[in-house]
Amino acid sequence: MRRLFRGRYVVPSVLAGAVGLVGLLMFAPGAARAAGTGASTGAAGMRSYATAGTPASGATPTPCTLATATPTTSGSPISYTSLPASCIPPGEQLFAANCSSCHGTDAAGSALAPNLRGVGAGTVDFWVSTGRMPLADSSIQATRKPPRFDRLQTLEIAAYVQSLAPGGVQIPSVDLQQASVSNGGRLFTLNCAACHTITGAGDALYKGAYAPSLHQATVQQIVEAIRSGPGNMPRFGPGNITNQEAADIAAYVHGVIQHPSDPGGFGLGGVGPVAEGFVGLLFGVGLLMLVSFWIGERS
Amino acid sequence: MIDKSLRWLDDRLGVSKGGRTFLDKIFPDHWSFMLGEIALYSFVVLLATGVFLSLYYVPSAHEVIYHGSYAPLRGQRVSEAYASTVGLSFDVKSGLLMRQAHHWAADVFLGSIAVHMARVFFTGAFRKPRELNWIVGITMLILGIANGFLGYSLPDDLVSGTGIRIAYSIIESIPLVGSYLAFFVFGGNYPGNGVIIPRFFVLHVLIVPAVIVGLLAAHLGLLVKQKHTQFPGKGKTERNVVGSPMFPTFMAKTTGFMFMVTAALFLLGGFAQINPIWQFGQYQPYQISYAVQPDWYMGWLDGALRVMPSWEWVGWGHTWPLEVFIPAVLFPGIVFNLFIVWPFLEAKFTKDTAYHHLLDRPRDRPKRTSAGAAVLMLLFMLFCASSTDVLANYFHISLNTVLVTFRFLVVLMPIATFFVTHAICIEMQRAEGVGRRKRAVVVTRSATGEFATYDADVRPGDGHEELEAIPVPTYIDLTPRHLATGPGVRRVMR
Amino acid sequence: MSDDGRTGTGPLPVAALDDPHLAPYAKRPQAVAAVAAVSMAVGIVGVIGFGVSYWVGNQTQWQAATLGVGLLGLGFGVAAWGKYLMPQGPFVEERHASHSTEEERSAMTAAIVERGGMVVKRRKVLGGLFALGSAVFGVVAAFPLIRSLGPKPGRTLFATNWRRGSSVVTVDGRRVRPSDLEVGGVLTVFPGGHEGNSPDQTILIRLEQLAPGQGELVLQSPGRSDWTVQGIVGYSKMCTHLGCPVGLYQEQTTELVCPCHQSVFNVRAGAVPEFGPAPRPLPQLPLAVDADGYLVAAGGYDQAVGPGFWERP
Repeated sequence: MRRLFRGRYVVPSVLAGAVGLVGLLMFAPGAARAAGTGASTGAAGMRSYATAGTPASGATPTPCTLATATPTTSGSPISYTSLPASCIPPGEQLFAANCSSCHGTDAAGSALAPNLRGVGAGTVDFWVSTGRMPLADSSIQATRKPPRFDRLQTLEIAAYVQSLAPGGVQIPSVDLQQASVSNGGRLFTLNCAACHTITGAGDALYKGAYAPSLHQATVQQIVEAIRSGPGNMPRFGPGNITNQEAADIAAYVHGVIQHPSDPGGFGLGGVGPVAEGFVGLLFGVGLLMLVSFWIGERS
Repeated sequence: MIDKSLRWLDDRLGVSKGGRTFLDKIFPDHWSFMLGEIALYSFVVLLATGVFLSLYYVPSAHEVIYHGSYAPLRGQRVSEAYASTVGLSFDVKSGLLMRQAHHWAADVFLGSIAVHMARVFFTGAFRKPRELNWIVGITMLILGIANGFLGYSLPDDLVSGTGIRIAYSIIESIPLVGSYLAFFVFGGNYPGNGVIIPRFFVLHVLIVPAVIVGLLAAHLGLLVKQKHTQFPGKGKTERNVVGSPMFPTFMAKTTGFMFMVTAALFLLGGFAQINPIWQFGQYQPYQISYAVQPDWYMGWLDGALRVMPSWEWVGWGHTWPLEVFIPAVLFPGIVFNLFIVWPFLEAKFTKDTAYHHLLDRPRDRPKRTSAGAAVLMLLFMLFCASSTDVLANYFHISLNTVLVTFRFLVVLMPIATFFVTHAICIEMQRAEGVGRRKRAVVVTRSATGEFATYDADVRPGDGHEELEAIPVPTYIDLTPRHLATGPGVRRVMR
Repeated sequence: MSDDGRTGTGPLPVAALDDPHLAPYAKRPQAVAAVAAVSMAVGIVGVIGFGVSYWVGNQTQWQAATLGVGLLGLGFGVAAWGKYLMPQGPFVEERHASHSTEEERSAMTAAIVERGGMVVKRRKVLGGLFALGSAVFGVVAAFPLIRSLGPKPGRTLFATNWRRGSSVVTVDGRRVRPSDLEVGGVLTVFPGGHEGNSPDQTILIRLEQLAPGQGELVLQSPGRSDWTVQGIVGYSKMCTHLGCPVGLYQEQTTELVCPCHQSVFNVRAGAVPEFGPAPRPLPQLPLAVDADGYLVAAGGYDQAVGPGFWERP
């Protein structure tokens, strides 16, 4: 036993260590990206913007609170309600402080950023609530990060942008009780898997773009993304994917993609045979080679 | 009891003479000679779990409504093949364990064949008189890859269906006969007439395994007939084999190894999820998932298809889909044929027609070693190229950059590997004692302050190598010598 | 098995029990034996545990853990027994020449050449007839064996079910109006009555918001200015590389990407391949609107869809 760390055991123990290390990496494929984005957002600074935008105006007929501004379900799988007008003034202030430098003071866009008139409150809610806006780095695709604004502030900005022009995507409220996970799975495969992959892990697209992972998206954000087509994502109107179908897809993403049952053990990141091959070769063949190294002679 | 039944058998078959020789058969003990055993025992697990799976799998493209216990699929229209595969995973006790162990066994089977083959190649074990066994082994590798693909395709899920689609197009790309071949294999234009699943099934469970079993018997039979190679060493010559006898030492070791291989495969099968077809859903020819790759042993072909430039050529009134034919038909054909003819090429160029039972150290054959390393590097680069999208996503690099980089790497890395390996081999030849076990040097200090050094004792196990090898004794005098008082008390056991 | 390691009729050697070749590898055999015994006991417990876990439920991880530990324990015990406690030798076996003697070789050759030559050369006609018969049988047998497997391709690979006036329907059979697609929207469609048929799969993309009669979408492909409807284009969804569905649409850059091997098609330039291994543009489907306002095909594809093949001109 005390000879364990002598020369003859160095090769197998280094091999075993490498196997273990790569294995750890394989089991946590999302770790690198999560850590990277977390670090980059903290530095951008919540402090100045968040406090500057908090409004003091409150005395309006329908006060702008989370209770009044959050859409409620009303019998159909997806329902939309309009935000109270009292949310618009604080939203305008937040917009002026945080968004107007790129999108323009009247949200008509600039050379840096698109026109937001007519995109609707739902589109704004998607971009802001997923933390993609405000942008941390305009040279790369907007990445999901912890949102800079709290829920009420987000809704206020959305209400302001909605007030500038009618139409666009509204903020949905999804009743998953009325959705079919099974039908959602079928529609997900047909419409979403080609980019987001069948396990929702996401993958790289052409020219540095990528389809993001779906594992953190909320039900509301899923429907907003379907309807508004953020970034390179196609836009699916109600003539293409009905409200019922959008709710079905959201139910599938929420129920199965984000919470896979993985009855077969560790999911290996859901990236398919490449990860499986590495595990098979390192843990299967590699460990068995170590066993044969023990059983056999080594001269 | 044993004596009596052996006599009964020997009266009829005469097994004793050959049988005893077989029990005395010597197997060299080097660890690298056990790599093929991983493949052998994985194959045993494949057969056992495969029989289990075949009892529940239904090879039919007939459409049914899924009603099993996996809720997210309930009510969907799926094929019987897919429904039965999900069913045997969730509604048959131990079914999921068996299915995943089967899949892992296939991955490990082909992986260990590759490692075993690399050992045989780099040590020159394929040389005369073992060229035939080398060819038998390559054939089993090809059949193993083919059967892996067939089995991967059987569940009729989205990912494997995409693979079948690609296979169809590859067959279609063969000049002159491609479309006829594709129509014959699939029974019509893609996706065919629902015949491909039953056809793949009978190939996967009957025809290919039967051929592999036959070749495996030949592989082991030739090994027994020609006896195992050995590394040069004390008392080891071209005229003998030194090692452990078949019974009991080798048998105990290899039986233990078989149990451990099986254990590893079932542990993987229960703790590492593989091919979760319930997530993928039923295959439809108009649906697709991103990040779809074949299993690892087909990855190099997929990588070759990815890095190939779009060189379709139209001439003489015909289309030559070279962008498919070259990487997916011609290239693997060249690779496997090169493997098959390598022993003969090497013999021709080295003008070496002698028998070889002693193995080479890879460094002593720098050209062969570097050629093998270059081919391995080529295949590894192509394997990595099959996951360009996953790599781009994981490391946040542009997909274009990754692909263009691999177009260069696939060519440059093997060349660089050849020269680097060659240089390392030459360097190792010159260095004295590289790779040899060193004895510790003990430094002592005497009472007067004088230092002295001497070599430490031999390590445990090394002592045995100091002994002269002897033939396996059949009869053993079981009485310890200090108790033996005369010829009368000697007991002899067979 | 047929090779005899020890030829000759001399007496077989008898080994003494204290012959060092019969000594175990381990320096402390009792300790090793104890470890092996414990390992095998763990193995027995594991295998019993597998039986129990099978009996009480169907939990894959428990089954794998018990079975794995069981087999590992037994295997480790036996292998340790073999490695450390059994006679380690080294033992030797002679190798014998695997080839026959020169006389035996000559005899074998003679048996074939002389015996065979005697009968075949005298009856050349019989030999020729039998060879001919075997060859004919081989050719004839190929027909039931191979020809029955499938139909001849004929013109199948050139034809899809798209015709002038074919209704454009989704996979669920729903007819499609131009307004169903928003700008930047995509939809997989089939000719009515052929939903889900592989060669017919077509992807509709709405590039711009154009009202009826407001002019046509400008695509950089000559002669196809009237193939689009209100900013909607239709392309075959089968990749020209290997036939995978080109289902990945990047809306901002208006490019279709094949998820299999990342071929990229520029939609605004007539779906010409920009990157990756695909050699040809995706064939375009001419679109029109019928009297009821539904999308229809203004014609079939003007070429074979999908990957290349020999008969394609």
